[in-house]
Amino acid sequence: MTGYILKRLLSAVPVLLGITVIVFLIMALIPGDPALAILGAYATPENVAKINRDLGLDAPLVARYFIWLGNMLTGDFGTSFSLNRPVIDEVLDRFSATLLLAGTSFLLCTLLGIAAGVISAAKQYGWADKGITFAVLLGISIPSFFLGMMMILIFAVELRWFPVSGMKMAYGGGGFADVANHLVMPAFALAVVATGVVARLSRSAMLEVLRQDFIRTARAKGVREGRVVWGHALRAAMVGIIPVLGIQAGFVLSGAVYIEMVFQWPGVGRMLVDAILKRDILLVQGGVVFVAACYVLFNIAVDVAQSLLDPRIKT
Amino acid sequence: MKQGMLNWTRRGVLAAGTALGLALSMGPAAAQTPPGVLIVGQIAEPKALDPAAVTAVNDFRILMNVYDGLVRYKSGTLEVEPALAESWEISEDGTTYTFKLREGVTFHDGSAFDAEAVKFNFDRMLKEDHPFHDTGPFPLAFFFSSVEEVTVIDPLTVEFQLNAPYAPFLSNLAYPTGLIVSPAAVEEYGADYGRHPSGTGPFTFAEWESNTHVILNANGDYWDGAPELETVVFRPITDANTRTAEMLAGGIDLMVEVPPVALSEFEGDDFTVVEQAGPHVWFLILNAKDGPFAEKAVRQAANYAVNKTALVENVLEGTAEVAAGPTPPAFAWAYNEALEPYPYDPEKAKALLAEAGMEAPEVTFFVTEGGSGMLDPVAMGTAIQADLEAVGFDVTIETYEWNTFLGEVNPGLEGKADMAEMAWMTNDPDTLPYLALRTDAWPDKGGFNSGYYSNPEVDELLEKARVSTSQDERASLYQEMQAIVQEDAPWVFVANWKQNAVTSSAVEDFALEPSFFLLLRDVVKN
Amino acid sequence: MQFLTLLMRNRLAAAGGIVLSLVVLLALVTPLLPLANPDVTDTANRFLMPGAQGHLLGTDHLGRDLLARLLHGTRLSLAVGFAAAFFAAFFGAAIGIIAGYFGGRTDNLIMRGVDMLMAFPYILLALAIVAALGPGLTNALIAVAAVNIPFFARNIRGVTVGLAHKEFVDAARLAGLGHTRIILTEILPNVIPVIVIAMSTTIGWMILETAGLSFLGLGSQPPQADLGSMLGEARGALITNPHTSIVPGAMILVIVMGINLLGDGVRDALDPRLRSGALTRPMPATRVERKGTIPDQGDGEAVLSLRQLQTQFHVKNRIYKAVGGVDLKVAPGECLGVIGESGSGKSVTALSVMGLVASPPGVITGGAVYFQGEDLVGAPYEHLRSLRGDKVAYIFQDPLATLHPLYKVGDQLIEAIRVHHPVGRSEARARAVALLKQVRIPNAESRIDSYPHEMSGGMRQRVGIAMALANDPEVIIADEPTTALDVTVQAQILSLLDELRRERGLAIVFITHDFGVVAQLCDRVAVMYAGRIVETGPTEAVLNAPAHPYTSRLIACVPELGGGRRRLEAIPGLPPAVDRLEPGCAFAPRCLKASAACREGDIALEGPGMRAVRCIHPEAELEEGVA
Repeated sequence: MTGYILKRLLSAVPVLLGITVIVFLIMALIPGDPALAILGAYATPENVAKINRDLGLDAPLVARYFIWLGNMLTGDFGTSFSLNRPVIDEVLDRFSATLLLAGTSFLLCTLLGIAAGVISAAKQYGWADKGITFAVLLGISIPSFFLGMMMILIFAVELRWFPVSGMKMAYGGGGFADVANHLVMPAFALAVVATGVVARLSRSAMLEVLRQDFIRTARAKGVREGRVVWGHALRAAMVGIIPVLGIQAGFVLSGAVYIEMVFQWPGVGRMLVDAILKRDILLVQGGVVFVAACYVLFNIAVDVAQSLLDPRIKT
Repeated sequence: MKQGMLNWTRRGVLAAGTALGLALSMGPAAAQTPPGVLIVGQIAEPKALDPAAVTAVNDFRILMNVYDGLVRYKSGTLEVEPALAESWEISEDGTTYTFKLREGVTFHDGSAFDAEAVKFNFDRMLKEDHPFHDTGPFPLAFFFSSVEEVTVIDPLTVEFQLNAPYAPFLSNLAYPTGLIVSPAAVEEYGADYGRHPSGTGPFTFAEWESNTHVILNANGDYWDGAPELETVVFRPITDANTRTAEMLAGGIDLMVEVPPVALSEFEGDDFTVVEQAGPHVWFLILNAKDGPFAEKAVRQAANYAVNKTALVENVLEGTAEVAAGPTPPAFAWAYNEALEPYPYDPEKAKALLAEAGMEAPEVTFFVTEGGSGMLDPVAMGTAIQADLEAVGFDVTIETYEWNTFLGEVNPGLEGKADMAEMAWMTNDPDTLPYLALRTDAWPDKGGFNSGYYSNPEVDELLEKARVSTSQDERASLYQEMQAIVQEDAPWVFVANWKQNAVTSSAVEDFALEPSFFLLLRDVVKN
Repeated sequence: MQFLTLLMRNRLAAAGGIVLSLVVLLALVTPLLPLANPDVTDTANRFLMPGAQGHLLGTDHLGRDLLARLLHGTRLSLAVGFAAAFFAAFFGAAIGIIAGYFGGRTDNLIMRGVDMLMAFPYILLALAIVAALGPGLTNALIAVAAVNIPFFARNIRGVTVGLAHKEFVDAARLAGLGHTRIILTEILPNVIPVIVIAMSTTIGWMILETAGLSFLGLGSQPPQADLGSMLGEARGALITNPHTSIVPGAMILVIVMGINLLGDGVRDALDPRLRSGALTRPMPATRVERKGTIPDQGDGEAVLSLRQLQTQFHVKNRIYKAVGGVDLKVAPGECLGVIGESGSGKSVTALSVMGLVASPPGVITGGAVYFQGEDLVGAPYEHLRSLRGDKVAYIFQDPLATLHPLYKVGDQLIEAIRVHHPVGRSEARARAVALLKQVRIPNAESRIDSYPHEMSGGMRQRVGIAMALANDPEVIIADEPTTALDVTVQAQILSLLDELRRERGLAIVFITHDFGVVAQLCDRVAVMYAGRIVETGPTEAVLNAPAHPYTSRLIACVPELGGGRRRLEAIPGLPPAVDRLEPGCAFAPRCLKASAACREGDIALEGPGMRAVRCIHPEAELEEGVA
């Protein structure tokens, strides 16, 4: 197993290197100037040129890439000029917020999605199935930012059950209950689409598995139906569900951008959008590499989980 | 009727969500914020808390409460009064300013405020060989580009030597770029000073958590009397809609730049809407170099074609006034009262177009999605586009996010566009026309005259007004300039914004300043 | 055509299709409708509510007619969504096919690239593309299409890899066809359904994503309306004038739901497994819809007795009479063989006993199953479950499929024990080891921790038998337990079963299509054809003097009794389809002796003593056999 993990980690290296090249090229190709973000409305061409010189943006492309890569390998992600802050500090701060949001959503969508899919499959064509199918369809059809806006309108402004935005109270907040209270709406809004996708997939995976001979065997043994469905069938269906969870993690991470904007969640998605708009090159590059590395690692973890679950996979 | 229907829709939405919500409910009703703590909804995360390094009004709102300048604007006006300087003298030729400094003032970090500190501040910004010049860049340093030397006469006397008379100098000192930072703190934190600010102002910096809040505490030893509030929390809420929702839900106590459409929500007793006209002008830069707007008649036609009254009253819900010329009325002494705005007259516009021999001029219109002082740029741009189309223009809109927009507009519109939205908030009647209307302010010469307007007469008037030390003389020069510029129509003059803010009923003694600054020293929160 | 019929049969998909068609139709005729100009502003009349004079849906923040903007916006959003899906599918499929077809280094290189793009948060990629190209709906379209290419590429590559080594592709290669030709004529036609499925399920997603970019202000340029930018612009007035947000929001919802419903329908109609309706899950117990009188138990000695049992499969409008009134019984210590071709209904008969026939589509429509004197047809599920595996146990064919692949065999055995007997885990484990030893699995103590895929076929079948024996049942129903095994293993298993029934006195119902096996093990035999028993009697008697022509033909296929596996394919013709049974003898069409009388009316199963045959032209006179 250790060998397998090592092998997977090694194979991730070229992917990550490729990502550094892509993000670097993209930022180099995007027109627009970081100096404008620094100078604001008072940016004159002369000042812009000076700042670009100060930021080292007048060096040749290839040299800039290797300088950046070299620095990054020594743990130096550079300083974000738009925030006057080391990139790594900002990325870690913001990523932990996103991790909380996306992680909760991911957990929600996994648990709810699988549960809905299993129930839906076990009660195929029954009322529960129809209800779940409809809810799921609604869930994957609603733009998450629209849902988020409506949730704010209803649950925060009108009913005042939850705070409108942010991760904690502006003053005196930050405790577990406070953060949890702030987390409810955005996590839910973010989880809706992914829950739908997971539920649909779980349902079809379960239907597939429930027809298998080993389910009949379990029933012939007299195993209780609950255990047949939630034990035998779900265990086998997970083999098909888990890889999709890996892909969904990416979608949840991307969808977080909208949710973070609507709910003012201080996460990395919003940071990257702002950074792209401000042409904060180092922040975008550092942030993307960090997020991509986490995504790649997560997918390796998914593969490892898969191989632990399914003894037939050679590791 | 409208209200009734509105409630009906709202109830529909409510009903749809309530069932779902009941299942999830566990949160307590949003708690009121504690007394003595004022939570301010900001429009963005501050870039830095170093007054020399920032340009955005949003950042100024925090800075003005942490720092003092040598001078400041008298409450409710744009006239300067003493602050850290108790008095000053101006030499006959208008090139030497000598300030007598207030005694016994200390920075929040404990170091003393004195003439050396003043010199440090300006040298840091202006002298490339200053050891802390690299803590920049200082984009607004040009406000003080006329300063040749700052000299310490004695610990409480400092002298500024200008290379030429420069009338806006005092006014610029009152601007945030002139706020005095603690040299000790700059020496300690270097480039990181922007996150560890230390000034002499009514509030001391306590904490800055990225994208969450900036917290200031009261400075009990403030030289001008301790503030009423214990704590001020600035929360960045970039989305106007979310900001409004927070205000309605009681999550913030004070909100600036209320979106015009949301104003009606704050009509009840729970809120107070505060308004204040300021030195702001919202206009369209017209490309006078190439394309249809090279013709003066076409530029005037555009001014007649745009229904400015409809824009300010409907789109902006009365949060602005129609602009008559390039100088906002907030500069009362320099404003030309005789100037009447271009009336809305589509027929006249058509006639002018016909006269110029252009029946359907094709026009590319740069619109921004947001930005400092830009009000509601997409909606306004769209409405303007419709007005122009109505008289025969063929307008194509291109929208850009603010920084990109600046990158497109500031280098000049030539070859790219015929018109672009723009707005300026300034502290002196000199700034805007000097930077954006002179021939020497064309983009290639380092200015912001992106539409290439050029009138030697205007150039001369502006140069003259700048070096005059008599306010009366300056006033008449500016008034003359306004009349010429209005006639030449290098811009479409659209609106002067009345800045607004909403406070909850717990907030008292809050007022907005014409300077657009947010001064919180006297504010009480129950 | 068949595709359309299938599609319309799915009511939800049809509803989705109709809604979507309406929307598309509306979008198409929009320019012809007497609508207000969507771009003309009238700021004095902004935010009019729906139903206002001249504005059916009210007006937006600039006083523009919302209905007009909604329809024009829908037009644009639909066009962009479809176009984005098409381009993503086109380029994604091209890349996927090239990677999958050429394989090797090309594949590796392309797929690493795809991995990289997938690891890149897609929305940022889209943002970066729009930032590079400038704002505008066309650029948003390009961005959305581009970021979705990797998903298509990966999907299509997977399918292509499977195809690239199929015989027909190899044949084309050998025939000297060029790569382009092979890809276009051999690969593409087989990949297209997958592309269509992937496209139909992603169009909705594309519309949402384009709306998202428009919402961020990166889509259409004002004053042009698309649904996303309408929503984005209305957002500022969400609190004061929610209708301006709800109108475009609801339209997006309707369109995307319609597309998703239709997409699901398309997928179901194109997917061959779904098309056959096979993707339905069986219920815990077979559905019972018993009509007519319930037969009595008959012979009292039998531990298990099937009386006039009828089991049918209801698929759409057809009824397959898989079991058409079967009588069987088995006494303690006795082994009954049930023999017949595939599809003769013998397995269904066996599964009907404990309600294990997959349902839907299976339904028990008549007769009774008496176990120890108690009728189990229609018994409450919980009672049935308590008997399953405890009193009546099954051994199934193909143990690789019938054992759970992800549980250790020991755990599966332990579960079988603990379901019925509340013993501790360690005790259950000890019993499981004992059971494995009993079925002669060497190193039982270590094999108990093996997974099914780590064992040989014979070993797995022994595990299956051990599991059936776990609770010392009264009856074992063995459904072709040796078919998948080779001859020597088969012989070992048969002797094992024989030994067990003699030692424990259990009753065995042994289902097979192999007379050789029957001769080895069974006391009595019943021959099934088309869901009915056509001949029954003591094994010896039937083998020596088959009465039914079918039986004799079956036996004739086995040249040497007990000589190992014999196939029954040698009878010309095919068994009848059980949904179209003609009156009379079902074997008549294949029977050399068939006469007109054979095709008229029901023929009874008659005979003296234990022998009986369902034939009016029997091969031999029946003698009363001896068990």
